[in-house]
Amino acid sequence: MADEFEITDEMRAQIGQETEPWTYEVTTTSVRMYARGIGSDDPIHYDVDFAKSQGFRSIVAPLGYIGTPVYLPGRNDPTFGFPRRGGGPRLNLPMKGLLDGGTETEYFDVICAGDVLEETSHLADLKARGRMLFVTNESVFKNKATGQIVAKQRLTSIHL
Amino acid sequence: MAQVYFEDVNVGDEIPQLKKNCSTQQLVMWAAGSGDFYQIHYDKDFAQRTGLKGLIVHGALKNAFLGQLLHDWAGEKGQIRKFGCSYRGMDEPDQDILCRGVITRKYADGGKNFVELDVWTEKPDGTKTSPGTAVVTLPSKS
Amino acid sequence: MAEQTYFEDVTEGQEIGPIKITPDKQQLVKFAAGSGDFNPLHFDEDFPMIKAMGLSGTIVHGRFKYAQVGRLLLQFAGYKGRVKKFGVTYRGMDFPNREITVKGVVTAKKQEGGENLVELDIWTEDPEGKKTTPGNAVVALPGRG
Repeated sequence: MADEFEITDEMRAQIGQETEPWTYEVTTTSVRMYARGIGSDDPIHYDVDFAKSQGFRSIVAPLGYIGTPVYLPGRNDPTFGFPRRGGGPRLNLPMKGLLDGGTETEYFDVICAGDVLEETSHLADLKARGRMLFVTNESVFKNKATGQIVAKQRLTSIHL
Repeated sequence: MAQVYFEDVNVGDEIPQLKKNCSTQQLVMWAAGSGDFYQIHYDKDFAQRTGLKGLIVHGALKNAFLGQLLHDWAGEKGQIRKFGCSYRGMDEPDQDILCRGVITRKYADGGKNFVELDVWTEKPDGTKTSPGTAVVTLPSKS
Repeated sequence: MAEQTYFEDVTEGQEIGPIKITPDKQQLVKFAAGSGDFNPLHFDEDFPMIKAMGLSGTIVHGRFKYAQVGRLLLQFAGYKGRVKKFGVTYRGMDFPNREITVKGVVTAKKQEGGENLVELDIWTEDPEGKKTTPGNAVVALPGRG
């Protein structure tokens, strides 16, 4: 067996293939649940009146919230929640294990409850490090109402 | 499931069974959905420190399963008026939980067709863990 | 929430934080709930993948640590500041019931495109001081003027 994971031409051809869009509704309940999950008690994430008094549209999503899945049966991965949809890369990796490699988010606006976002993603990079494969996906989130890009996110996962 | 009608059911009939089997992942998802983060449902050490043998399934989740049993049977045109159960016995993850119901009464009242049922969840050895009752209205063929 | 930080008050080399959190299993289950990531790797010691991956037990979600870094940055930026960008890599594992410390250092300040920008190195540390989640961020701060 080779010591280095082999990235085939077929896999490289998946880079740049854009997925169909996916809708993310940012709701008060999901923002509060996420804030509770990270152990934050900042009222900006929970109290709508307070958030408005500070100049925001509604409660503000914590900074790591972007990408929290909207789960629809049969259309999302049942464990991780990422959407299964048309377009996009088809890697078919025989995973023995999967680890999170890294997360990077760029914000162009503040994300608040009530926002409805539309996201598309594509495979941005493939890197072999020994037997491990590092897969980086890039997502673009637009506010559905305004069409403006509100965030971009790069996620790296490590396939063992 | 095809729509069931008032005329088609008889006292003593058993409604189609619903079999559930909760993984520990399912119990965590229920905690997420219900907001009940009590550790006896996902933290084995915690559960054992309270005197339990191991993890147990939330009572409210079994109640929800019975709700699903009734919802699947009553169909789009049926309505669940009332249902409830007592959490008498404990159920564990990775073990079958059988949801069952039997019709105990049927009658018309105020222009509506009522069906009463005994419902319950059962362990693989037949022990009834969550006995309860339900009242459902069904559409008429006429 | 702490007092608003202003651009004029920030100096290069300035340290921010720390924020400390010791996530027990309940907190990680709450995070699974909030984030939608129900990977048993984070809450079920009997999950076969744990042994298969050579781990000693359940591990803290990488994204949980990312969120802790986010909390520190929000605290630093204040309600009038804006976190423009932040990213980390998950270099080391963190385990439940062990203290995670989030820290940061200002590496640069500059004015660009009409904004007051502050660049930082940010990271989480385990109880032994190992930087398990290194990263950097760019924050826009309000000016006093």
